[in-house]
Amino acid sequence: MTVNGVVETARVPAGLTLLEFLRGWLHLTGTKEGCSIGECGACTVLLDGKPVTACLVLAVEADGATVETVEGEATDGELSALQTAFVEAGAVQCGFCTPGMIMAARGLLRRNPDPTDEEIVEAIAGNLCRCTGYEAILRAVCVAAARQRLDAPLTGETVASQSAGGSLGGEAGSKERRFLPRREARRAPRAGGR
Amino acid sequence: MLGSFGYERPSTIDEALTLLAECNPGALVLAGGTDLFVDVRAGRASPRLLVDVKRIDALRRLVVDVEGGVSIGAAVTLNELLENRRVREVLPGLCEAAASIATYPLRNRATAVGNLCNASPAADLAPILLALGASIVVHGDQERTLPLPQFVVGVKRTAMRAHELATRVLVPPPASGLRSTFLKQQRLRGHDLAVASVAGTYDPGTGRMQIAFGSCAPTPVLVAPIEAKGNVAERAGEDVARRVLAAAAPISDVRASADYRRAVLSVLARRVVTNLLEGGSP
Amino acid sequence: MPRELRVVGTPVVREDAIDKVTGAARYTTDLAVPGMLRAALVTSPFASARILRIETARARTVAGVRAVVTGADLDVRLGLYLRDKRILARDVVRYQGEAVAAVVADTLDAAAEACRLIRMEYEELPAVLDPRRAMQPEAPLVHPELGSYEHMEGVFFPQAGTNVAHHQKVRKGNAKAALASSDVRIEATFDNPPVQHVPMETHAAIAQALPGGRVELWTSSQSPYTVRHLLAHAFGLTHAAVRVHVPHVGGGFGGKAGLGVEPLAYVLSRACGGRPVCVAMSREQEFNTIPSRQGLYTTIRLGARRDGRLMALDAEYVWDAGAYADYGVNVGRAAAYSGAGPYALDHCAIDSFVVYTNKVYGTAYRGFGHLEVLWGVERAMDQMAHKLGLDPVEFRKRNLLKDGDTTITGEPFTPGHGKPIECLEAAARAVDWEHPLAASRDRHKVRGRGIAMLHKAPAMPTNTSCAAIVKLDEDGAADILVSGVDYGQGTYTALRQVAAEELGLPIEKVHVTWECDTAMTPYDWQTVASRFAYMGGNAVIDACADCLRQLRATASQALGVPGADLVCGEESVYPVGERDRAIPYRSLALGYTFPNGNAVGGPVIGHGRFIAQGLTNLDPETGQGRPAQFWTYGAHAVEIEVDTETGEVEILRIVTALDAGKVLNPLSCRGQVIGGVMQGLGSALLEGFRFDASGRLLNPSFVDYKIPTAKDLPREIVPILLENAQPGGPYGARGIAEHPMISVPSAIGNALYDALGIEFESLPLSPERVLAKIHAARERGKDPARRGLS
Repeated sequence: MTVNGVVETARVPAGLTLLEFLRGWLHLTGTKEGCSIGECGACTVLLDGKPVTACLVLAVEADGATVETVEGEATDGELSALQTAFVEAGAVQCGFCTPGMIMAARGLLRRNPDPTDEEIVEAIAGNLCRCTGYEAILRAVCVAAARQRLDAPLTGETVASQSAGGSLGGEAGSKERRFLPRREARRAPRAGGR
Repeated sequence: MLGSFGYERPSTIDEALTLLAECNPGALVLAGGTDLFVDVRAGRASPRLLVDVKRIDALRRLVVDVEGGVSIGAAVTLNELLENRRVREVLPGLCEAAASIATYPLRNRATAVGNLCNASPAADLAPILLALGASIVVHGDQERTLPLPQFVVGVKRTAMRAHELATRVLVPPPASGLRSTFLKQQRLRGHDLAVASVAGTYDPGTGRMQIAFGSCAPTPVLVAPIEAKGNVAERAGEDVARRVLAAAAPISDVRASADYRRAVLSVLARRVVTNLLEGGSP
Repeated sequence: MPRELRVVGTPVVREDAIDKVTGAARYTTDLAVPGMLRAALVTSPFASARILRIETARARTVAGVRAVVTGADLDVRLGLYLRDKRILARDVVRYQGEAVAAVVADTLDAAAEACRLIRMEYEELPAVLDPRRAMQPEAPLVHPELGSYEHMEGVFFPQAGTNVAHHQKVRKGNAKAALASSDVRIEATFDNPPVQHVPMETHAAIAQALPGGRVELWTSSQSPYTVRHLLAHAFGLTHAAVRVHVPHVGGGFGGKAGLGVEPLAYVLSRACGGRPVCVAMSREQEFNTIPSRQGLYTTIRLGARRDGRLMALDAEYVWDAGAYADYGVNVGRAAAYSGAGPYALDHCAIDSFVVYTNKVYGTAYRGFGHLEVLWGVERAMDQMAHKLGLDPVEFRKRNLLKDGDTTITGEPFTPGHGKPIECLEAAARAVDWEHPLAASRDRHKVRGRGIAMLHKAPAMPTNTSCAAIVKLDEDGAADILVSGVDYGQGTYTALRQVAAEELGLPIEKVHVTWECDTAMTPYDWQTVASRFAYMGGNAVIDACADCLRQLRATASQALGVPGADLVCGEESVYPVGERDRAIPYRSLALGYTFPNGNAVGGPVIGHGRFIAQGLTNLDPETGQGRPAQFWTYGAHAVEIEVDTETGEVEILRIVTALDAGKVLNPLSCRGQVIGGVMQGLGSALLEGFRFDASGRLLNPSFVDYKIPTAKDLPREIVPILLENAQPGGPYGARGIAEHPMISVPSAIGNALYDALGIEFESLPLSPERVLAKIHAARERGKDPARRGLS
């Protein structure tokens, strides 16, 4: 299989999970084990471009496939827009769910560069986080999507100020207003909510 | 490690059948693995051989024919199903049910056929497929097509024999304008197994309504067809709720009491009827 | 002395986030110690049983097995406050899920295989599952030897010959008499189930027993020094012989505050001749074997004057400690001295009993008993308000602590305590309390609004202390060394900000060394109780002052100017008014070198410390004393919508107003509030252990123990942080980490009453529970769905 662009060849027992292969054999420990039954999303990786929980995939099933993990997200030591947004939005606390969150979000942005808030929620709802309450994570994915689309980096302050005040409701379900300054977002009527 | 078992990845149905027959008992079919691996980890299943059917081309096909009949191959994932534009058009209720299952990453693995073969009382695709009159094609010594009510025979039990392989689900062409919907009660908004679920179809042309429910009996249950034409939604809803409750035999478990299941089953039944009579999916 | 702040109070981002978004951050199970073995556990299927026989011979034949250890091999009892727990069960098991044997092998698979081959023979004994029954004289004793257990004397009071591990009393005035003479009285009961912390990283430790009675540990812990102390004490080692590393920790929430799997990892390593052994809990073991939050049964009586003045509170708290109460006793203690809410009461009687049962045991969990007691207290306050015909906000305003009042333990309430009334008002305003709530558009949905107060102080020994070291680097940057752990709260970022402010450095030049190591980083008691920013902040300020003193001393020699005439600023030291003579920090950090080569000073390493100020033990009979370093007050207000057909509760808006003293970092504080509110919503709506009649845990996995997901976010969460400075707090700050989850259930329970006219006594407020109550009300002829219409 190809892992983060590197061809890996190994003879593995059939019972070895992809998660065990990545962590134990390739020493890619960024991918975490949280429950081993697919319920928490901590081990989310991309298999042929699609998010899957690596605890419920056999390594042999990924034979010939392309696997992407959190370790492949930065390029030459430069954080991706997604990673930068996570850092700046306060979307990281203990960090244990973060690699899985990033990969779930990466999968989303690849298939849908302009997701609605609802689509972002759907994409990461399989990833449990006990620290952040998800809000900052949702913002981070929104911001990363915007940066990728606009290809014009927003400043760190934009993210921080959006995260540091205002309400969720102002932005919920309203694709157009997510990046408006807080004051205007508040003034705008709320569209439906979730 | 999940266990010590063999793994084979056949590329044809015949190869798969041969493998299943050669290693019988002990061979299990692997499609998405999202239920199977959990069972293996918990010691509820201990296969000697896993036969991975995902590379069998015939099973990867999702076909919607010109009349809207749908054939879902055994390796078609839930996301492939619910993201198919044609399926969304003709069978919105099926897509709603598929979307309610587990989480996005799991739906990239879990298959529609697997959901049925697992034969859980809470299988979310079962009620809508029952209401749609679906059947399942099974290959073994010979090919046979089983209507869904005959396929699921008990809790975690199907009519399949050990060395058989379910290859596809067939949904007959829906009547023109057929409405379909699916509602599920969970303990939270996030991913959960159904406490109760109700699915329904309605043909505005004939007035025929088909209702089925899940998680409230040892198997998903199809209720006898209902003539709903000319009925006001409220009356039809009450009628359907009564029939559904009459057919239900819910248990109390850690997810919900039988009383709660009965209560929400009736609510879901009425809401499904309202949705159907007022224009299909909300 | 107002001072313009450059860094403190700004939304500085986490320094460690870069490692966490790239996968570079190492957690315990990511470490590979050469030669490391893996361990697996055998756990008890019974809630209470005698161990008759353990047959391990077959297990030992599995290839790769290095050791099999059972309770019979280990004669140690461990505990922080009360030594009541063995590393592996010995003679008897006291809860289903308790570890009875462990196998170490080259691989986890081999260890697990061997565990399956261990044959256990038990004789099942009667179990006691309800703590109220456990208090009856005829109840089976979970710990017949309780009277002989070592414990913290004078603070905890185990009752020999009973199941009561601790009885905390608070007595102020004469509650019984005041109740009797009150115009209006209410009595109500409430209960909370045991709840799990659910850190995303389960408990894990790697231990290596070294020659000469030494041990090196890597552990997912909140308390490296407590782990060190307890291990040293239990095994008769010197403290220096125990070295504890804490790498990144994937969440704790109190569950990693006490001893976890460290002692087991240590004895297993000993059993394998000193090979390093990794013990990591599976998710199921995290639920079923590792401690949880205690359950609680509350009985509360309130008396008030007709004018709305609270006269008396009389409460009994019965904690479901589970099989071990080592940490639970302190929860029972803290929740007692906070057990009347933030109200002025002249008459108060509280009895808090921490009671053993045959269930998975309790420990610290974010909120430390306060979410549980305030579930009852704040629901009861609403009931009293309703009975008095007073608005719940108005009723609370009349009774909240104000300057000049004393708390129930006799502590004077001062302006420095913060402003609970302002929190209440801010929360009420944010939900538009004065105006009626718009009705739902949906026919079968009704809306309601609720409010609840909260308060909490750090629950810690009177002599709790911590230290900080600040070192300057060659480039003039500063490194902070502490042994409090940042497992997500953001404290390290706050400490960086404090040091940057104190030293006059840009934030980019201040770092916290990530990985606590008891051989390298200085003492801290534990990372618990929302006291790290406060105590660690003060220690860092002290350490920075020490650095500045050293910098000035060296600069004084270099410049030939008395130290008193030197100022530090712009990363340099200079004589007052003579900026052109400034010597940059980088030229002083390792000592100053004159042009001729002579050198003076030396490496600048500042040491700072802090110890709790003015705390006293509580009087055993009356609970009177000074238990709190500081109090943090707050309020929650919610708007909810209830589906009267399914029982589902949707949170439309939830407001958290806290008096933070000083917000050191608004981004981190917001993160704490939103994350805490979501955890509070878990406790309120979803979470709780379920046991069958024999005491078996029915929901030890994510399939049936649900925590909130991104889909469960309320429509709106509104954090409001007030800043009434805390005297003695770093820049006036108080802790706020636990508080956002406390009283979230209470506010929702009160909102449910507002919506439905139904009293809820039990958590969680699951759809099933809500619907059952609606149906019961309907049978009594009251239709909650039609309430709004009448």
